[in-house]
Amino acid sequence: MAIVIETKDLTRVYKTYQKPEGFINSLRGFVNRKYVSKVALEKTTLQIESGQIVGLVGANGAGKTTLLKILSGLVTPTSGEARVLGFTPWERKNDFLRQISILLGQKNQLWWDISPADSYALLARIYDLDPAQARKRVEYLSEMLQCSHVLHTQLRRLSLGERMKMEIIGALLHEPKVLFLDEPTIGLDIVAQETIREFLDQYVKEKGPTVILTSHYMDDIAKLADKLLLISKGHIVYQGTVPEFVTKSNTEMAEDEEVDFEEVIRRFLETESRVR
Amino acid sequence: MKKSFVVFWRRNLAFAKLAIVSNLEYRLNYFVDALLQPTLTTGIEMLLWFAVFAGAGTSEIAGFGREYYLAYAMWAAFFARICTSWMYETRMIQEIDSGSINSLLVRPMSFYEYYFSQLMGYKFVTTIVSMMVPLIAINFFDLPTKFERLPLAFALEFYYLILVHSISFVIASSAFYLNKVYALTGAKNLALWLFTGELFPLDLMPEPFKSAVIALPFSAGVYVPVGYLTGRLEISSVWQAFGSITIGIVLVNALGIWMWKKGVNVYSGTGA
Repeated sequence: MAIVIETKDLTRVYKTYQKPEGFINSLRGFVNRKYVSKVALEKTTLQIESGQIVGLVGANGAGKTTLLKILSGLVTPTSGEARVLGFTPWERKNDFLRQISILLGQKNQLWWDISPADSYALLARIYDLDPAQARKRVEYLSEMLQCSHVLHTQLRRLSLGERMKMEIIGALLHEPKVLFLDEPTIGLDIVAQETIREFLDQYVKEKGPTVILTSHYMDDIAKLADKLLLISKGHIVYQGTVPEFVTKSNTEMAEDEEVDFEEVIRRFLETESRVR
Repeated sequence: MKKSFVVFWRRNLAFAKLAIVSNLEYRLNYFVDALLQPTLTTGIEMLLWFAVFAGAGTSEIAGFGREYYLAYAMWAAFFARICTSWMYETRMIQEIDSGSINSLLVRPMSFYEYYFSQLMGYKFVTTIVSMMVPLIAINFFDLPTKFERLPLAFALEFYYLILVHSISFVIASSAFYLNKVYALTGAKNLALWLFTGELFPLDLMPEPFKSAVIALPFSAGVYVPVGYLTGRLEISSVWQAFGSITIGIVLVNALGIWMWKKGVNVYSGTGA
């Protein structure tokens, strides 16, 4: 299979202002600020083949979202190289942007003041889609996600679960070849999580996009991901399949102990938190 | 090439439509913005000039009578509302400050065109409604206005909006480095209150300020179109204003593009 995502020594360092507590320090900080550099991603090298669903797992602040943002073109790396579908993401060429989509579970990407149907009509114009075809696609996707009844309600009046479904339709309207999903099920109840998971599974089987998925719900990763990327303090510490990872972890444990994927990841994240 | 222009045009019409649709969702806000505010501003400006003439005990100032100043005040309030962009500028800053710009950066369009077309769409739809206020007042008080000059005055005003938006783009781009730059919008609008000629006709300023301020492109926001409409200025001033706006657009956009490129490189995709 062809390689669609490739990075070499990708590094991102954030510079942040540090302010000790208190009024006097606010006054001091007004004239003299102290900055510290934090490495969010360090010399990350990876390759992802087309049509794969890759689960990106790590503790909070491990660098998952930074990696997604760089690969989708939102953030420019401090150093290193990346090619996604043959493009350098942070150049944000329109031909590149037409082929990708990023869904940030904690951010609205549709328009708050208008109905999802109006948002999709606008997206059809942005992505230069045939309006009639786009409408058919919205109909199809909303039926799959069981949310056709709220297409004409103003976005701000929808529940979190309904909004997330609308966001997913918006992200898939132009049939992206690469899809970045950052916590698509965050904050949703179990039923909504399950609906979205099943939908994504079915959608990927039908359309075959390459997907990079981050989630704190290990069910999302276990049920959807073909490949696992474990990230720790800005480093990729494991690349492989989910079963291989579980087998490897079990062989490293005491002989009489055998745990499932969720438990292995839980232990990994716990260790991470302690080390941090 | 032709295809890409058609795509660009359709996309931008859709952005303009978005501005109209979004604003019409909130009926009271729209009514206040399009009708009540211009009525209040016009009333205040007219009262001010009534008071000036009554207090001065004269029938002319700088060669023009009270009716000319009242007509100027009427149209100045109207044109000043068109050429002021605080709402979209604030939204542009907010997008960068809050990180909601993420959804725009990953779509095949530019931040500049997205907000420019919305600004144009919004100004177009509010201008049509707001225009009732000066038209009624001008007819009611029988004030001097050369209506045949309206199309060119509007053309100049909407051309000036490109400069207005370009300045907003520069200010918003600075939010990549400084986050909260809302005060810049306030300070800029205060300066433009004077430099556009909204406060009073720029030819009342003493020299050398008068020549300098009239030569700046900002005079095209209020002073030139209103002066032309009320007979205070002739067509040569309008052509000069087109020229100075063009120079302004080139310079401000050069700065804006530079700041934007540097800005997105330091941007950390805030908040998600």
